[in-house]
Amino acid sequence: MESRKPPPSALVDNHVVPGDVVLDLAEMTNQTIKLGAGLRQDCDTIQATSAGRLRLSKPSKYWVESSQKRYIPSVEDTVLGVVVDTKPDNFLVDIKGPNLAFLPVLAFEGGTRRNIPKFEIGTLIYARVVKANSIMNPELSCMDATGKAAEFGQLKDGYMFDTSTGLSRMLLSSPTCPILEALGKKLSFEIAVGLNGRVWVNAPSPSNVIVVSNAIIKSESLSGIGQRSMVESLLERLS
Amino acid sequence: MSAAATAGTYSPASAAGEKRRERKEELRRHLAEDADWPRADGRSFHDCRPAFMQTGPTTAASGSAYAEFGKTKVIVSVFGPRESKKAMLYSDTGRLNCNVSYTTFATPIRGQGTDNKEYSAMLHKALEGAVMLHTFPKTTVDVFALVLESGGSDLPIIISCASLALADAGIMMYDLVTSVSVSCFGKNIIIDPTSDEEAWQDGSLMVAYMPARKEITQLTLTGEWSDGKITNAVELCMDACSKLCDILRERLKDASSLAE
Repeated sequence: MESRKPPPSALVDNHVVPGDVVLDLAEMTNQTIKLGAGLRQDCDTIQATSAGRLRLSKPSKYWVESSQKRYIPSVEDTVLGVVVDTKPDNFLVDIKGPNLAFLPVLAFEGGTRRNIPKFEIGTLIYARVVKANSIMNPELSCMDATGKAAEFGQLKDGYMFDTSTGLSRMLLSSPTCPILEALGKKLSFEIAVGLNGRVWVNAPSPSNVIVVSNAIIKSESLSGIGQRSMVESLLERLS
Repeated sequence: MSAAATAGTYSPASAAGEKRRERKEELRRHLAEDADWPRADGRSFHDCRPAFMQTGPTTAASGSAYAEFGKTKVIVSVFGPRESKKAMLYSDTGRLNCNVSYTTFATPIRGQGTDNKEYSAMLHKALEGAVMLHTFPKTTVDVFALVLESGGSDLPIIISCASLALADAGIMMYDLVTSVSVSCFGKNIIIDPTSDEEAWQDGSLMVAYMPARKEITQLTLTGEWSDGKITNAVELCMDACSKLCDILRERLKDASSLAE
């Protein structure tokens, strides 16, 4: 019995809106299809439940990629959070999600009861989502999978601004997105991007911070070529 | 001198009132004849007003939309999903909170907007069948609709605009909801009535419809209708809703392509 690969949907890489039929399962037999965010099965069809661009990851994983102002937590996402409250066992962190996230006081490299970090309300933290469930508050950690601090922890100085989740995904994409590549050739700066639509920028001079952050904010609606030309014009004015 | 100046002063309120009175008299005359008549804006009975819709006018909201159908102008903002108030009990499904309000300048006579509570409840009823509430337990999605100018058929436009705003906010939905209303004048059925036409209607019917699923989420009927006329009116509304849904789809596709 031969098992043929499922034909990719004609809508792949096209825009879909709620209610659009993405795939007809009646034409497929003995095939496994993985559904990601923004899709659901309704009888013999796969339908979109949110507006965005339909993506396909080989062999057969479909999802809808969209850009929003709100963030839905997902395991292994790196996020930028703001401490809003401190409890004996947890820090309560705002990650732009439906609920506040918990950051356990022991979720730091070498974390013990004796060296609990002291974070004031308003502290900016770069962390990793370790638990995400629709009925529970998300849980964060400032360690990587091996228990090392890596790049996680408190972010001091710099400037943090909000963007859409789509822009933050673009900034974290590989190969490096044109805007960061163009800025990195001329300016020295540090950047931390959270998948929750927050970006932190730090540079030796405030003018550099302003240029970098403005360039990133404006880049959302520009193509790669447009991003490069915008950076060039910004740097001309700066010099 | 002053008397002459007073006599020559232009009073927009009275002029507008006279025009409105003339239109109503003309409409009453046509109704008495029970024949086809030209509508004030030149449309035929089965023509909707020109529609303009746009996403993202409110930057602070999770999602927002603006709709303009003739003289009716509506803006809807969606906030959330965000944590429900502490006082509320745990719920394994989300909560949809809808609120409709009118600006004081929305109607010709200041502050005479329709009953907001009733419209809020009807908006909730129309949308709750389309929103996947189980995808955001313990949280609330707030839908705030503001009528900037009331030119008739307010609720259907609010529903369509709210559906667009929810999709813009990334709220999981089974399908987009579009809504259209019709008015009954004697033997005639006219679609998308203006406020002047609504004032003299014998009955009205409003349908909120999910075109892809072919499901009606809300049907509101007032006045005197015969069975045959109801069937015709519902079919007319569903056809108009399907066409309106195409506009909503285009707007959403434009918005997401702009974001990229």
